[in-house]
Amino acid sequence: MSLVNFTAREITCKIVYYGPGRSGKTTNLQYVYGRVPENRRGRMVSLATQTDRTLFFDFLPLELGTISGFTTKFQLYTVPGQSYYNATRKLVLQGADGVVFVGDSQARRFDDNLESLQNLQDNLLSQGVDVRQLPVVFQYNKQDLPADLVLSQEEMDDALNFRAVPSYPADALHGAGVFETLRGISELVLKRLAVGTPVG
Amino acid sequence: MKALEPWVVDPLETFLAESAARLTLLMTSSGQVVAQHGFSRSLDVMTAAALGAGIVASTEELARLTGAGRFEGLVHNGQRQSCLLAAFATPRGRWIGLVVFGPETSVGIVRLFFDQMVHQLVAAAPRELAPSAPMLAENFETELNASLKALFGR
Amino acid sequence: MTETQTALDRVTRVPGVRGALVIAAADGLVVAEQLMEDVDGQAVAALAGSLVLRLARTAESAGLGRPRFLHLRGDAGSVLAAPGADDLVLVAVVGPDANLGLARLELLEAAGRLA
Ligand SMILES: Nc1nc2c(ncn2[C@@H]2O[C@H](COP(=O)(O)OP(=O)(O)OP(=O)(O)O)[C@@H](O)[C@H]2O)c(=O)[nH]1
Ligand SMILES: [Mg+2]
Repeated sequence: MSLVNFTAREITCKIVYYGPGRSGKTTNLQYVYGRVPENRRGRMVSLATQTDRTLFFDFLPLELGTISGFTTKFQLYTVPGQSYYNATRKLVLQGADGVVFVGDSQARRFDDNLESLQNLQDNLLSQGVDVRQLPVVFQYNKQDLPADLVLSQEEMDDALNFRAVPSYPADALHGAGVFETLRGISELVLKRLAVGTPVG
Repeated sequence: MKALEPWVVDPLETFLAESAARLTLLMTSSGQVVAQHGFSRSLDVMTAAALGAGIVASTEELARLTGAGRFEGLVHNGQRQSCLLAAFATPRGRWIGLVVFGPETSVGIVRLFFDQMVHQLVAAAPRELAPSAPMLAENFETELNASLKALFGR
Repeated sequence: MTETQTALDRVTRVPGVRGALVIAAADGLVVAEQLMEDVDGQAVAALAGSLVLRLARTAESAGLGRPRFLHLRGDAGSVLAAPGADDLVLVAVVGPDANLGLARLELLEAAGRLA
């Protein structure tokens, strides 16, 4: 649940990067961290195992700037993708304003993507959230790998993106698509916040 | 001291004066900062809040799983500074307090006045709900794009 | 029965004593307590602990050495405290008509044996 404060004119939104193990969630945050000016970001915290698998979460606070007169802050989280960390995944998902589903475009990870998406829906449901009501975008990562190993954006959309929400091909390692994804989810989350307010 | 909502100020100020705490952070259970004292950067506060909320969430879950009962608080005794982390119910939902204190006070004093602050917060919380949607300007997407461009330097 | 329980028993048996606690002064926490219902043990431990530490510092800087006994007299009763070994302090909350002499004696005696 985003925290909107009218007195301080501040908006804080929580965005969670979800997806199967090793799909590149942490890499997304690392890229963002590396590209954002220091005065706009806080410390990035990674609670990881010794082999760099996310254990609890990664966290990166960003200051977006002023939007419609509100100081807007984003909190980016990643969940641990490995299936046996579901309890911690649920905790991180609590109160999310938006989800970026980072899929692994490699054909051999097809089932892992499906399983993780199903798991996202189950976990949201157990928290009383209908995935159809929540801002979600897809990112199909690792598009830099040889074409015979990866599925195209269309193929990934067909497999995962039934509601035709925005989706972005990406190479998070080198940054392609990372910015577009963050921009996409930011727009959905802020639009959702604005719903119900008179326009013009 | 900085608080998002004015009714939090009095209870928090009393707590700070009585407990002699060095740092204090109040947050929602999903890690959103509500008020803070003693941090120098707002972004570091957010990191502390995310970690604090994570610890509380996982400790509560562990307590539930093992049948250890309700989570009342955690105290970490450091060499030079100690810290108290405790969750409590408010009319605005479940909140968490994170307090860092030194040898000039004690965990007993901090806990005593923390509990007192919780009572005062519960009494002071306005019952009516705050408006839930900000008035975003029609052209907010332009501003969003500009902000993101500035953020990424492109 | 433990030494601590014995200490609390002896002190609370004195007429007019409304409660006794063993506290860890530096932490301001209750180690053991035997209290009447209306005495808030947590608050007494926190505040008495802080008081004992401050007064110990005062006593030291005035060249009095370690404090052996503290008596705080209010309109409606007193708080008595006797530091024992380590960081432990035996504290009694007494009403206005308590036998203060006896309470003091028992407190000092029992505090001396607190491990
Ligand atoms: N080729 C390629 N490799 C990538 C890309 N994104 C991430 N990787 C690599 O994939 C591996 C896993 O990336 P992480 O970001 O740690 O994956 P994760 O989703 O956080 O994994 P968990 O924490 O286990 O859930 C790392 O070795 C990354 O360098 C990409 O776009 N292309
Ligand atoms: Mg990770």
